[in-house]
Amino acid sequence: MQTKPSRRKGASIMEKYSIFLVLVVMFIICSLLNKNFLSAGNLTNIARQLAVGTILAYGAMLLIISGMIDLSAGSVLALAGVLSVSFYKAAGSLVGSLLVGVLVGVVCNLVNALMVTNFSLPPFIATLAMQTIARGIALLYTKGQNILQLGDFIVFGQGEVFGVPTPIIFLVIATVVIWYILRHTRFGRSLYAIGGNEEAAVASGINVILQKYKAFIVNGILVGVAGVLFMSRVNAGLPNGAIGYEMEGLTAAIVGGTSFSGGVGTTVGTLAGSFIIGCLNNIMNLTGVDSYVQQITKGAIIALAVIYDIKSKNRKTRKVILVEEAGTEKTKG
Amino acid sequence: MKKKILSLLAAAMMVSTLFVGCNNTQQTPDTDTAGTDDTAPVADDAGAGDASGQTYRVAYIARAQADSFAAWLANEMIAEAANYDDITLDVFDGEANDEKENTMIENAITNGYDAIIIQANNGEAQRPYIEKVIAAGIVCIVTNPRVDGIEGVSSVDADPYEQAAVNARAAVDQIPENAKVVVLNGPAGNFHSVERRNAWQADCFDKRPDITIVAEDIANWNKDEAMALMEDWVIAHGTVDAIISMNDNMCAGALEVVSGKAEYANVLSYGVDGTAEACLLVEEGKMTSTALQSAIDLAALNLDAVHKLLTGEETEINVDIPAPLINADNASEYVEMYRSRGLIS
Repeated sequence: MQTKPSRRKGASIMEKYSIFLVLVVMFIICSLLNKNFLSAGNLTNIARQLAVGTILAYGAMLLIISGMIDLSAGSVLALAGVLSVSFYKAAGSLVGSLLVGVLVGVVCNLVNALMVTNFSLPPFIATLAMQTIARGIALLYTKGQNILQLGDFIVFGQGEVFGVPTPIIFLVIATVVIWYILRHTRFGRSLYAIGGNEEAAVASGINVILQKYKAFIVNGILVGVAGVLFMSRVNAGLPNGAIGYEMEGLTAAIVGGTSFSGGVGTTVGTLAGSFIIGCLNNIMNLTGVDSYVQQITKGAIIALAVIYDIKSKNRKTRKVILVEEAGTEKTKG
Repeated sequence: MKKKILSLLAAAMMVSTLFVGCNNTQQTPDTDTAGTDDTAPVADDAGAGDASGQTYRVAYIARAQADSFAAWLANEMIAEAANYDDITLDVFDGEANDEKENTMIENAITNGYDAIIIQANNGEAQRPYIEKVIAAGIVCIVTNPRVDGIEGVSSVDADPYEQAAVNARAAVDQIPENAKVVVLNGPAGNFHSVERRNAWQADCFDKRPDITIVAEDIANWNKDEAMALMEDWVIAHGTVDAIISMNDNMCAGALEVVSGKAEYANVLSYGVDGTAEACLLVEEGKMTSTALQSAIDLAALNLDAVHKLLTGEETEINVDIPAPLINADNASEYVEMYRSRGLIS
């Protein structure tokens, strides 16, 4: 059955921009449900609250695109954060403490990369192991106690630059950098290739092991920064903080269109996914929705996002098959 | 011949693991937490040894050493045990997992401990295994929280109702008329959170019907979750007069959000636990009051109780630690207590 070109174009636009349409519709509905939703203060709140989770989501996205996953993000964030805080309390250097956080994130992810590439451990298992190890180190180092009296360290998570909260500045920088990496670098393109078909990527000459290491390193930098932001936001070094945050990152990436099968995902999609979840949390808090109902709603949104992802992939696969069949018939004719 | 020797060695190693405890943490006292403390209750037998020279092996199964309070309690238990020449204490981490904790209880029974002190993760999930300890004739104490209705078990606990009530009774006179308040709760169904909330209801809200609770939600004892809720509540409800929190972490999180905001300069705030952070906040005038849940007191009473039960001095002990109110008048004492233990610099 032939479909009109205009209808095909419309369907294509819907598929490509559906996540943004959902976000726009959500903004409209939320603004009708609560008059404060669209206020500058509230939108700033949402962005500030989302900063840590979205930065984690970018790391998760890179890894999922390349066919991997990171279950250790929350634990590594905690370890990076407490060591960063400790460094600041000892040395008084903000730049140094940020670098320590990043370094810890990178080292942990290098270990992940080693386990995945050199020892061929499935990323799920390797990062699950790191989840336990990193958390254990954080607890051992702090003896399970919170580190207090952070002084000026809080500027990372609670400061402002020209009226813009610093977490939002970090988020913007991370967004631009990750977008550039994925859209305009060979490294970014290779991640899509590896995630789409690793054997074909190898055959085409991509150094898959090196690119995987790089993906984990970038993830490590993002997790380290997230750790510094998290601890400075809560004004304490919490060794048991950010439990489950890896799931927040994964959820935002998946809702934003990153596919678990690999090779698919965009930075702006992940950002939109993060905002969809953030707006949902926000409007449910503003309108006083029961916390149990909030949990059910969030779970349902994740399920719907994955169902949509699977269905749209099936549609694309059917299109490819139809086009191939049409081509075969022409040849026969 | 070589293979036979190796096989024998491997078998010997496997057999030897039966005699070694698993998931065992350190037994030596932490020098940061050891030391005298004026607020600790008197443990009459502290330092005493059994005249017959017998030593007792005691297992302490902590709920989760990832939890800062549970970690503090475990550290204090180790420090207090060092005061008893006839007690060897082994600490096990239940990792906030009922399955793991129950397994550890069973292992402790198998390993022949003379006494088992259990900090339940979920009282009902641990109940059958606590009963097994009693059935095995082993001295058993449940602590923080108590698990009611088990014959033969002793208990050392803090009363969560009283911990919140001391704050609520003060708040009745402190909260202004027609005040708007927000309430932060612990995990759903958590015994301590529920009891504390009950105390606030009975001792404050029922007595002050003019107070309006504009928002109430679960923040799971977590500072970051409380922060996110408070940020949204500030937008939704504007200025509130008081923050009522079932623990100090959540209260501190809410206070982070309103810190420095002129319209919140006089906000009242209440928590429970008497953590180091809360004591600092009360001392600085940023938090109104909290109630101490002293791991030092719990540890002292637990070791005192287990020693009396093991030496036959008592057959059953059930005791609660006090819940002193910490406010601007006495916060400095508790800050000093934490400073002496290295928890505040």
